[in-house]
Amino acid sequence: MTVFGRIIKFALQDIFRNLGLSAMTVFILVLMLLSVNTLWSLDVVTREAVALTKDQVNMSLYLKSSTLDKEVVELTTFLHTVSEVTAVQVVDRAAVVESFKQRHQLSPDVIQALTELGGNPFGPTVVVKAKEPQDYEKIIAVLNVPEYTKLIESKSFDQHEEILGRIQTITNRVESVGLGLTAVFAVIAFLIIFNMIRVAIVTQRTEISIKRLVGANNWFIRGPYLIAAVIFTLVSIGITAVIVYSTVSWLDKYVGVLFQNGFSLTNYYASHMLYLFSLEAAAVLVLTVASSSLAMRRQLKV
Amino acid sequence: MIKLENIVKMYPGSGVVLDEINLHIKAGEFVSIVGQSGAGKTTLVKLLIAEEKPSGGIIHIGDWDITTIGSSVVPFLRRQLGVIFQDFKLLPKKTVFENVAFALEVAGTSPRKIKQIVPPVLHIVGLGDKHDRYPNELSGGEQQRVVIARSLVHRPKVIIADEPTGNLDSINTAEIIEILKKINEFGTTVVLVTHNREVVNHLRRRVVTLADGKIINDEKEGKYIL
Ligand SMILES: Nc1ncnc2c1ncn2[C@@H]1O[C@H](COP(=O)(O)OP(=O)(O)OP(=O)(O)O)[C@@H](O)[C@H]1O
Ligand SMILES: [Mg+2]
Repeated sequence: MTVFGRIIKFALQDIFRNLGLSAMTVFILVLMLLSVNTLWSLDVVTREAVALTKDQVNMSLYLKSSTLDKEVVELTTFLHTVSEVTAVQVVDRAAVVESFKQRHQLSPDVIQALTELGGNPFGPTVVVKAKEPQDYEKIIAVLNVPEYTKLIESKSFDQHEEILGRIQTITNRVESVGLGLTAVFAVIAFLIIFNMIRVAIVTQRTEISIKRLVGANNWFIRGPYLIAAVIFTLVSIGITAVIVYSTVSWLDKYVGVLFQNGFSLTNYYASHMLYLFSLEAAAVLVLTVASSSLAMRRQLKV
Repeated sequence: MIKLENIVKMYPGSGVVLDEINLHIKAGEFVSIVGQSGAGKTTLVKLLIAEEKPSGGIIHIGDWDITTIGSSVVPFLRRQLGVIFQDFKLLPKKTVFENVAFALEVAGTSPRKIKQIVPPVLHIVGLGDKHDRYPNELSGGEQQRVVIARSLVHRPKVIIADEPTGNLDSINTAEIIEILKKINEFGTTVVLVTHNREVVNHLRRRVVTLADGKIINDEKEGKYIL
């Protein structure tokens, strides 16, 4: 048997004959990985939700029916120059009438009244999108000049105001809770790691001194611990992946309802899995190897 | 075989622990080192196995000048020595057989040879029927015999034992000393650090007495004089 074969044999012996400690190590690593993944998912869902809601928010400017096409162009050109505005869309008179009819399909009296009026009583509508919900206030402010107020019949923003405010507070709250959770997890992870290192030092130090005493070189001393660290990493990553995957596909039933745009955590994980888990594997490996290297440092008085 | 020249060892905080030690041990000798607690006996052992470096002086073991060897050579030195300590140093998660085999495995001995060498050595120390026990399933005396088996298995030229019987009753002590005597009769040099007056007086071999880091007495057929 080669040196490498013996090192692997010793590593496996260490793992299986200290099954309690091995299970504990894997358990702690899995817990840590799960908390990282929870945070990650929470972040993804929040970001997606906020983006989606922001995207759905817009402001409609209902123009007077007397508005000339030239004035509409002037208004949209001006809006494009406002830096907060991301999109301007004009719905012309004909389309406005169409959508009005569509909405009142089932109320013949309304359609009747419209026909009796004769002609098109509606002006065009300009739909404005801004980067951030709070930007609408600014846009309203810059439109508040006689030149434009004389064109605008009404704005739909007033009705959105409350919702926008609520989104803002929810977003802020989610962000601060997320930050708090991150801090808590960071502290927990630190304590766990610290304790792992201490346990490793205590259990490994005597063993290392014995091995040195009978003439084992560094390969025989370090090797099994490094191999064991690799095995612990792979096993805990594997277990975490299974747990995350089944949780996420279960959660998707509920998340899917919230997001009408087809967003799915399962898909997100499927497309980011390699990146995510190799990043986590690297982190865990650094952690386990660092802890056993720390234990290895020569404070090995016989 | 072993030669110490003007060995001085200082520890920060403890000052001079070994002071100008000159000691020459020939191949095949059985030397007892005695002295009161704190005299520097264990320090001397640590210097001999290159666990510590002397503050001054030279130590030769065989052809090696171990005061200048690098840490990568130390494992090779250790494989030439058999080391036995009072607190039985066995790997708790390895069986008796595996503990003894370990000393050969790290030296690259083939599995076939290991299977040949280990059983007779375990037989010599009287553990022929306990190959598969774990250390916590053995008595103190049995554990110490495993340690001796492990220190013997690679046929060292020198055995260094620091109070190997310190935790044992008189019957086990006598057995361990018998084993050491037998090893010595096969030609292995034995350096025995002990507190045990009966053992020393019964051996009637060379006795080196340490006090305050100095050799105060060195007799060919010595007695425990403290
Ligand atoms: N690592 C160390 N750092 C500082 N001082 C030390 C160290 N190791 C030993 N000493 C000191 O060196 C002196 C000799 O210690 P040593 O262990 O060699 O004694 P000893 O003769 O083996 O005693 P005992 O019979 O009790 O085992 C003691 O005073 C001890 O305090
Ligand atoms: Mg001592």
